[in-house]
Amino acid sequence: MQDRLTFKEILQDLAKAQASGEGKPLVGWTCTYLPVEILEAAGLQPYRILPEPSSEKADGYLDPNMCPLVKTNLGKAITGGYSFLSGIIILNTCDGMRRLYDAWRFYCPSPFSFLLDVPKTVTSLSVSYFKERLKELATQVEKHFKVEITTDSLNQAIEEANLTRSLSRRLISLQGRGAPPVKHSELLDLLSLGSRTPRSVFNKALEKMVRVLEGEPAGVSNAYRLLLTGSSLDGSALVRLIEELGGEVTISDICPGTRFVDYVEPSADPLFSLSHAYLHKTACARMFDSESRISALKESLLKSKAQGVVYFSLKFCDPFLYEAPFLEEALRELDIPVLFLEGEYTGRVGGGVRTRVQAFLEMLEKNGK
Amino acid sequence: MENERGREKLIKWAVKSPLTYRLLRPVLDLLTRKNDNEPFKIWVRFLLDAMNNSYARKQPVVWMSAFTPSEIAYGMGYVPFMPEIIASVVTYLGKSKGPIALANAYASSDLCSFHRCALGLVMEDYLPKPDLIISSSYLCEGANKFFHYLASYYRCPHLMVDAPYRGGSAAKKYVADQLKELVDKSSRLLGLVPDMSVMSQALELSNKARAYIAEINRLRRSRPSPFPGSEGLSYLAGMVFYSLGSKWGVDFFKTLHLSLEQKVAKGEGYLPEEKYRLLWLHHIRPYYKNEIFKILEEKKAAVSFEETNYLYWPALEPSKPYESLADKIISNIWAGSLERRVHAIEEMVEEYDIDGVIHFSHWGCRQSCGGAAVVGDVLKQKGLPYIVLPGDGADPDNFSPGQTRTRLEALIEMLG
Ligand code: SF4
Ligand code: SF4
Repeated sequence: MQDRLTFKEILQDLAKAQASGEGKPLVGWTCTYLPVEILEAAGLQPYRILPEPSSEKADGYLDPNMCPLVKTNLGKAITGGYSFLSGIIILNTCDGMRRLYDAWRFYCPSPFSFLLDVPKTVTSLSVSYFKERLKELATQVEKHFKVEITTDSLNQAIEEANLTRSLSRRLISLQGRGAPPVKHSELLDLLSLGSRTPRSVFNKALEKMVRVLEGEPAGVSNAYRLLLTGSSLDGSALVRLIEELGGEVTISDICPGTRFVDYVEPSADPLFSLSHAYLHKTACARMFDSESRISALKESLLKSKAQGVVYFSLKFCDPFLYEAPFLEEALRELDIPVLFLEGEYTGRVGGGVRTRVQAFLEMLEKNGK
Repeated sequence: MENERGREKLIKWAVKSPLTYRLLRPVLDLLTRKNDNEPFKIWVRFLLDAMNNSYARKQPVVWMSAFTPSEIAYGMGYVPFMPEIIASVVTYLGKSKGPIALANAYASSDLCSFHRCALGLVMEDYLPKPDLIISSSYLCEGANKFFHYLASYYRCPHLMVDAPYRGGSAAKKYVADQLKELVDKSSRLLGLVPDMSVMSQALELSNKARAYIAEINRLRRSRPSPFPGSEGLSYLAGMVFYSLGSKWGVDFFKTLHLSLEQKVAKGEGYLPEEKYRLLWLHHIRPYYKNEIFKILEEKKAAVSFEETNYLYWPALEPSKPYESLADKIISNIWAGSLERRVHAIEEMVEEYDIDGVIHFSHWGCRQSCGGAAVVGDVLKQKGLPYIVLPGDGADPDNFSPGQTRTRLEALIEMLG
């Protein structure tokens, strides 16, 4: 019982810290391919732009066939919901994000906007190209915010972020060890809040959390073990539903959440280290190489002994929608059932989804999985 | 049922036999001898030749996404095959529904219908198998994933040129280095030795075509509009995507140039009467039977130019193929920030003396349609009538004739 209370308290503390941002200028960012260390080294507070799921979309400003996360983001920006940000960094993630960058600058310009060009391939050429773009970002940030980013400040930011990463991994590894002391829904909420919270506060919270939970004995769980993957999720409602219906997400590869870098090597050339590490992290579907993503998923599946896969895609998300048949085929070979769900970033799971999740879990039961 | 299956088998055999295309050539020549649209006839011959080469497989067949410069394939002695363009031709022939329906069982119906149509054709085994697939990452998010899936389907290699968002020297070097790598890798994979003199020739041919395109675009500024936008969006755009770097390209653009020169000299427009001049945005139109251009004609509105035919790239340097193709890729107005596209549109509005603008919003396309509101607001601020015309380029079931007519009429009303 103790752990549950701690978790809630921690979330509340984080929410308070998030609002203050330790008095540093807040800079919004959109995608896990951004080395936030650059902003932290500049004395800025990175703030992940993740709007609350809503049915209010900027339909008049972007075509109806655009990703609902992108449209919700723009809707919030246009109505002043991000006016507290001192700048925005949007990444070259996908067509939707590129158009968000255009529309944001046109309809509600931010004092500082930058589009970070992220390669789609992982090669020595792309690593050096990405480093050039990171250098450009650092220079622009220095110029606009009148700050200096040094090798030392970058390495320090990398070390602090490494601590977050290792603590987060420890926390994640506690999932699925029976009667889960960490529910995936809570973990997603925590990680999502962490992406907007001062690093020092978040690290302290994680340390506390890990300390308490690692002391707990492993329990027994009869829940169905699932792997959750896909595009950006609209909050944790879907995961809560899965938990309510007797499933347990024991491993996930989803945004926001677990799609972060494992470790960055501090070095004499920290921008190169960042470029290398961020491009080599477990690929998202926006990257060229579906095979490496899928083989990483297969590995996670085997490791976590998940019995089924829930594949979630926001509507109109080309990277994940185009990749769906790919993954389905790969999983068929492993005889792993997949439940494919599409969402509209409303944060609600309708009756249809409930029935489908229920049927999926029943199917797992029937299959004796 | 048996009969039906037999017929299908026969059709497939005919589609996949190079002989069909060789036989069709004289037949079509005969049938169209009274048709004086020479450029269109070259397009048809070009397609027949491309299909013949693709099925005959005397050279490696390389599938390419539409925005990957075709000069690479011609310069390497490959036969380029562009499934997205073929999907538009299949749609034009009224045959896209079946393949799209088949693909819908595997892919979300919100994805680009050109890709779904091509996927259906792949599944029905109508298309020539690729030895290699090459795509590029800019503009269209879906294309890469689509081609990557096809590569796994056919178990063939897939090489991609990762085209950056930004321009500048680092970006140019990044693309040029990748193109060099692409040439080396693809020749290794296909067991060929690249002959850089053939590559230079391809670039020279592309430049010759480019010079005609520049002249064609200049002639299209004339009043009345000498060339129909509906054709600018079909075979003219098709040749820009598919033929640059080949002799066909030079022949086509030279012929089109000559025919437009004659029309302009005689003051001939493509419409009986031209009251308004329109600009069409987005690189496609619906290719199945529809009334869009008929309605515009009724209202005396000419589609004078299409943004897809905007000449955005500088002349290539045949002695520096990697750098100049990198320049071509990087200067694409639909990649990168929307400002560049908006500036080009403003220039087109000016040069073609445009009265109103139509932005066709193809359902599955995010890259172009995502900018439709901003482009519209910029143009409206300048007092230019503008409409977004929602529809679908390849899927006739995703098209609403009533709504289309209403929108077009609204535009004409704004034109006054
Ligand atoms: S959910 Fe998909 S389309 Fe939307 S921003 Fe993410 S990758 Fe792009
Ligand atoms: S229409 Fe749009 S989505 Fe379809 S292939 Fe072209 S760029 Fe891609």
